[in-house]
Amino acid sequence: MGHQKNWLRYAPITASLVLGAAVWEVAGHLTSGAFWAPLSATLKSLWEVARSGVLASQGMNSFELYITGLLLAIAVGAPLGVVLARVSWLRVALEDYIMMLYATPMVALVPFILSMMGFGFAPKVLVVFLFAVFPVLYNTIEGARSIKLELVEVAYSFRSGEWELWRDVIIPYTLPFTMTGIRQAIARGLVGMVVAEFFLSPSGLGQMIMMGSQNFDTAGMLAAILIIVLLGVGLMDLGRFLENRFAAWRGYNR
Amino acid sequence: MTAQALPSARSVVAKPVWRDWVRSPLFLKGAAGIVLLLLWEGVVRAYAPAYVARPSTIVKVFFPVITDAQFLAAAGATLWAVVQGLLVSLIAGTAVGFVMGRVAVVEQGLRYYVNSLFATPMVAILPLVTLWFGYNADARFAVVVFASFFSVVISASDGARSVPLEYLEVARSFRARPLSTLFDIVLPSSLPYLLAGIRLAAGRALIGAVVAEFFVSIPGLGYYILYNSRTFKDNEAFVAVMVLVATGVGFEVLVKWLTRRYLPWSRRD
Repeated sequence: MGHQKNWLRYAPITASLVLGAAVWEVAGHLTSGAFWAPLSATLKSLWEVARSGVLASQGMNSFELYITGLLLAIAVGAPLGVVLARVSWLRVALEDYIMMLYATPMVALVPFILSMMGFGFAPKVLVVFLFAVFPVLYNTIEGARSIKLELVEVAYSFRSGEWELWRDVIIPYTLPFTMTGIRQAIARGLVGMVVAEFFLSPSGLGQMIMMGSQNFDTAGMLAAILIIVLLGVGLMDLGRFLENRFAAWRGYNR
Repeated sequence: MTAQALPSARSVVAKPVWRDWVRSPLFLKGAAGIVLLLLWEGVVRAYAPAYVARPSTIVKVFFPVITDAQFLAAAGATLWAVVQGLLVSLIAGTAVGFVMGRVAVVEQGLRYYVNSLFATPMVAILPLVTLWFGYNADARFAVVVFASFFSVVISASDGARSVPLEYLEVARSFRARPLSTLFDIVLPSSLPYLLAGIRLAAGRALIGAVVAEFFVSIPGLGYYILYNSRTFKDNEAFVAVMVLVATGVGFEVLVKWLTRRYLPWSRRD
């Protein structure tokens, strides 16, 4: 009985995935090869790049770029945000500019980075960094702005020193907001990674997509896009998990 | 923070007026702006080649560029594509999202596709889009729609799902027709969600348009930036960046204002 219920619950989802796969396959056979490739051809191409080691090396290349940029963004954005949480005059002075940079489409800066720094690893890391840093900073500051004065006053009443104040009030209070920022940064950093691999020196998964499109190897291109879609989904889930993990003590004041 | 904690104690002691003035937000923001600009100017002058954009040289080209017909055409093309794409996403995305939010089977069937396409960096599908639409403005339009559509769908379905059950029961008690239930209850009730979705969608649409122009080389702000920075006219290119920033910030401010003005009951900000 329970088994059957489970089956019923997953039936529509399974049906939709099977239907999607069928549509993908049929569409590939009905259209010309330059437009769309069948799922079977895509999976075959994926299997080939996986077996030959191209996928592993290009994936590693992308991962290195992504993780370096993302970690740099967190390492810069989070501490800076917390410092701005404490030094209120500096926060008031800078928060509008940070909001502005948060809303800026960072892609627009890519040509400048190209003309100034040329090709290489550093400019690409800079692109990922710029995509990812402002969500972290912006959200941390949003959190900082909403720290309740009462909490700080209570801490002072109990003779908290500066260090205790940071450890017990400021960092725990802003951490959930920072996590929201990190979730956004995880997603934006991935966009930054693909942008960097497309428009600066080609490398990694971005290069695989480009090569597929230039060689009219639609199956190869779809295989690389599929990898990026799966990466996007996985990273978004990871971001949500992190956010929920640290959101347990948020929201009591909302 | 301690200063704010004890305002009464502080104000008892007479102190010079200029100190209040220095602490005023307006002064702090202005001073920070000037410091940042000077820093930019100084660093670029000291360490970067002459063609790199800096405030003093941007100011010189600002008015010639902003009144240049070619620039205005480029800005118009990009912004128009963004507005058109957003409208399509908004209408189609809301429709799909509402159905997803109210009909469980549709939601289960589409959930994975919508979520994964939402999580996909739209840049990754650029080569595919150019295969389908060619190297022209249609490709840009498609990228803008793709970039913004799924965030509208997700927020619309979240909104439709969170309509309080009592509202729907009242509607049924009064024998409201399905269409009036939709337009008078589901739509207003999910407006805060929709606005949040549009805010996200607008940012993504703008990025999509610029990236598409880089890739496809069609007239627009993105291509203007690319072209000018390639010919070492970074200052001219930067004016286009400023227009993009102003658009991004303007939209953010507009949506915040709309939410506060017309949807004061919503606590999602």
